Amino acid sequence: MSDQATSREAQGQAAAPTQEESLYAVRQKVYVRAVSGLFAKWRWGLVWFTQLLFYGLCWIPWNGRQAVLFHLVERKFYIFGWVFWPQDVFFLAILLIISAYALFFFTAIAGRLWCGYACPQTVYTEIFMWIEQKIEGDRNKRMKLDKSDMSGRKARVKGLKYAAWIALSLWTGFTFVGYFTPIRELVQSALSFSFGPWELFWILFYSSFTYLMAGVMREQVCKYMCPYARFQGVMFDPDTLVITYDDERGEPRGARKKGVDPRALNKGDCVDCGICVQVCPTGIDIRDGMQYECIGCAACIDACDQVMDKMNYPRGLIRYSTENAVKKHWGMKEILAHVMRPRTLVYGAILGVVTLAFVWGLATRSPLRVDIIRDRASLAREVADGYIENAYRLQVMNMTEAPRSFALTLEGGEGLRMVGPETIEIGPATTQAVTIQAQIPYGAVEPGSHGIHVVVQALDDAKVRVKEHTTFIMPR
Amino acid sequence: MKKTIEVLWPSFLVAGLAEIVFFTIINPQELYFFGEPVRVSEIATYSIGFFGFWLICAASSLTTVFFQRGSEQINHPERFHES
Repeated sequence: MSDQATSREAQGQAAAPTQEESLYAVRQKVYVRAVSGLFAKWRWGLVWFTQLLFYGLCWIPWNGRQAVLFHLVERKFYIFGWVFWPQDVFFLAILLIISAYALFFFTAIAGRLWCGYACPQTVYTEIFMWIEQKIEGDRNKRMKLDKSDMSGRKARVKGLKYAAWIALSLWTGFTFVGYFTPIRELVQSALSFSFGPWELFWILFYSSFTYLMAGVMREQVCKYMCPYARFQGVMFDPDTLVITYDDERGEPRGARKKGVDPRALNKGDCVDCGICVQVCPTGIDIRDGMQYECIGCAACIDACDQVMDKMNYPRGLIRYSTENAVKKHWGMKEILAHVMRPRTLVYGAILGVVTLAFVWGLATRSPLRVDIIRDRASLAREVADGYIENAYRLQVMNMTEAPRSFALTLEGGEGLRMVGPETIEIGPATTQAVTIQAQIPYGAVEPGSHGIHVVVQALDDAKVRVKEHTTFIMPR
Repeated sequence: MKKTIEVLWPSFLVAGLAEIVFFTIINPQELYFFGEPVRVSEIATYSIGFFGFWLICAASSLTTVFFQRGSEQINHPERFHES
């Protein structure tokens, strides 16, 4: 009888991990054990860096406005001294290409650096777990608390945690929307609680997603929802640095007393303490080899190094290494020598060229842009003195943040003269529509279409000049 | 639940992309709604646009999920419990 019970129990335990598959219903909750060490320091450093940037940047003033503001209503992106217009979509496209190649480049060299250290999903999960740890206690206390029956204390502790999470989520949502509508205006709205309906909606939308993803779903986002996690494998090759368990050194694993030579017991260096599994935010066992669930956070490296120190074994049973290095027993020198290889060189070269193009484009970006639209109502009409007139509508964009005056002139064509304002003043970061007419005496040029140029010249800077081509139509 | 997420999540990602591309190219003030210029605020236009894209993409995902059922599932639906 008792035999049957134990065998059922054993089966139940063995069956448990396979339930993992049906994520949306049954999931083994991952209780992550906190870890300290070199890589934890790096992760926390990046949490601070990215979040100071995110929460702080929207508050910095610049030229009497928000320094970084993606102003949707005005359709202008402000980034410190720059103002980007929809016409600058070229820069956005290049920026996306740079991001993509940077991702490829770093992934090919050292695996999922982005996922492990900088991805918002990792960063917010880290912050949420820190709050959880501060309020509910360490891993064992949390497991005990979850198993215990509902009590006044449990309700209080859980309630406090949820309240802290909600507060942080709301602040995150507020900050996010503050990048698209001026955040100081949002503060005014918040004080009087007079948000626009959509502003409020997006604050709550982003807040709930932050809460859901960092508080509840966590590693499932990386495992099931992230497209990058699914295809990052194609950028790996046998020379990519990934978090590796040294099979040869560790196996056969097993418990032993401190100070006993493992070789005498016919054992490897792995003491099978299971801490590497407990610290893993995705709940995998790195000793099973490379897995797509591994986000490369290196928590298991820190954990294992501490155990190795305690056992007086050399560090690095779990370490950053490459497939080739483990197989061929390479040292750091050979690993570094293989960082330069066709794949990384190609990614690096493309990244370098595109980055240069981006910087060059930004540096030589003209602070003035002119679009010419021909009057669609009439191609050409006859006016006094036997002149033929064509009309144009100019869209003149002053992309600087100071008002500027421009001179308008026409070039090209026999007897060409211009009717319309000779100078215009345009406010800071503004587009102004100007109507001008070009006139040529009838018969001075052949009937048909002739190229002419509209020249817009800044009065205060000879270099700020745009010469746009358009056509003049001479009727028969 | 699983099916719902399979429909809603990929369409959310693609709708986000579509939204960015569409509104980078097109100014919401230049849009016409049944011949009338759009009168709601820009933020509202962007928001409604996003949900429009999401709806369209979700319709596509839904069709995919719908066609993915095997013959067994169509002939004997009672043997399959929707989760």
